[in-house]
Amino acid sequence: MTATWIAMLPHLAHQAAFGALAAAGFGVLFNFGWRTLAWCAVAGALALAVRTVVQQTGGSLEAATFAAAFVTSFTAILALRWLGPACNAVALAGCIPMVPGAFFGQAMLGYMAVAADTTGSSTAQIVAASQAFVRVLSIVGAIGAGLAIPAYLLKSRQF
Amino acid sequence: MTTIEPDPADLEPIHPYSLARISHVALRAGAVLAQSGASVRVVHEGARMVAEGLGVEVLGMRSGYASFEITLARGHHSITRMMQIGPHGVNHRLDFAVRELLKRASQGDMTPDAIEAELKRLQKDTPRHPPWLVAIATGAACAAFGRLLGSDWLSFGPVLAAASIGQSVRHLLLGRRFNVFVVAAIVGCISAALGGLGARLIGSSTTELAMMASILLLVPGVPSTNAQTDVMDGYPTMGSARAVTVIMIMVFAVTGLWLAEFVLRIHT
Repeated sequence: MTATWIAMLPHLAHQAAFGALAAAGFGVLFNFGWRTLAWCAVAGALALAVRTVVQQTGGSLEAATFAAAFVTSFTAILALRWLGPACNAVALAGCIPMVPGAFFGQAMLGYMAVAADTTGSSTAQIVAASQAFVRVLSIVGAIGAGLAIPAYLLKSRQF
Repeated sequence: MTTIEPDPADLEPIHPYSLARISHVALRAGAVLAQSGASVRVVHEGARMVAEGLGVEVLGMRSGYASFEITLARGHHSITRMMQIGPHGVNHRLDFAVRELLKRASQGDMTPDAIEAELKRLQKDTPRHPPWLVAIATGAACAAFGRLLGSDWLSFGPVLAAASIGQSVRHLLLGRRFNVFVVAAIVGCISAALGGLGARLIGSSTTELAMMASILLLVPGVPSTNAQTDVMDGYPTMGSARAVTVIMIMVFAVTGLWLAEFVLRIHT
């Protein structure tokens, strides 16, 4: 068991590091201040680490995304003392690397290919594109629910 | 003999600020919040703080994607006003600076002129990261996305460069008030083409992933979660409008990607 976890560490570190980079990069785009940007990176690393652990233990991508968003939101609210009212925004920035833009691209390109197909044998492509689209909906829903539920339960939705 | 009763509203004392003036400041504060990426709940709460700080009651508010309405009342008088909301973006520092201002305004010791002047100052003076830094940071974020999606190390540099150039082009075009959807298609095409070409030239085996990662700067992550927040907070109209906008932007971005794939002969 321990050996499995140790073997997983390099992948976990990789995912957390690039989650942090993606969250901080988008934080700059969203004009977060320097101090808050550091917290965005921490939130991104936490989100990707949790998602990776849940996936490695057999969870689906959707379940892992929900768990990651939930833990990130919950932790950010607990860190309210340091983060201030921006805690919810920091949690959101941390979850940005999990937004399924690539799945949406796959779905749209798949549908475009189906539209251009003249052979009438595009059933597999329709299924693949539809599956990607359903994954977009479920992952975006998982992020939204994971972020919102702790905020509602812990009443951290101050102005 | 018939006696004519005076309208009670005519007997009210004269107030220092007209309802129209207060509604204008409240709407302006709400519009700045909305344009900075705040959810409808925050926009409404901000406008309410301004109005109540200036001593009037809020009877109702309604937020659309492009406009914001408020009905204020004082004694027997009431007024309904509407204001246009400009392009939606995300500006965290401005959002929270405005929230701090509105908390002070809710104490009741600021005049409408002072609130409006402070709003204008915040819009002008709130610091922004320089465009070159935003471009590089966005490029780095897309390259990181690429790694998370499974692209190889060779494509990291090309994706970083392509997305940075894409962000610079987006900044330039949006600054010239081009349509946001057309910009998504143009940037999607340029970023994907450059990312794919760079990855191919450098010998990457994940060219398609590199192209996909290069356009991820266009994914409207904050609006997509705000859409859900708005629906959960009881504002399904705004939530739906945000969701449709997110889908439209992604459709245009992917159209740009598709064009880039056609140019690079990825699937032919």
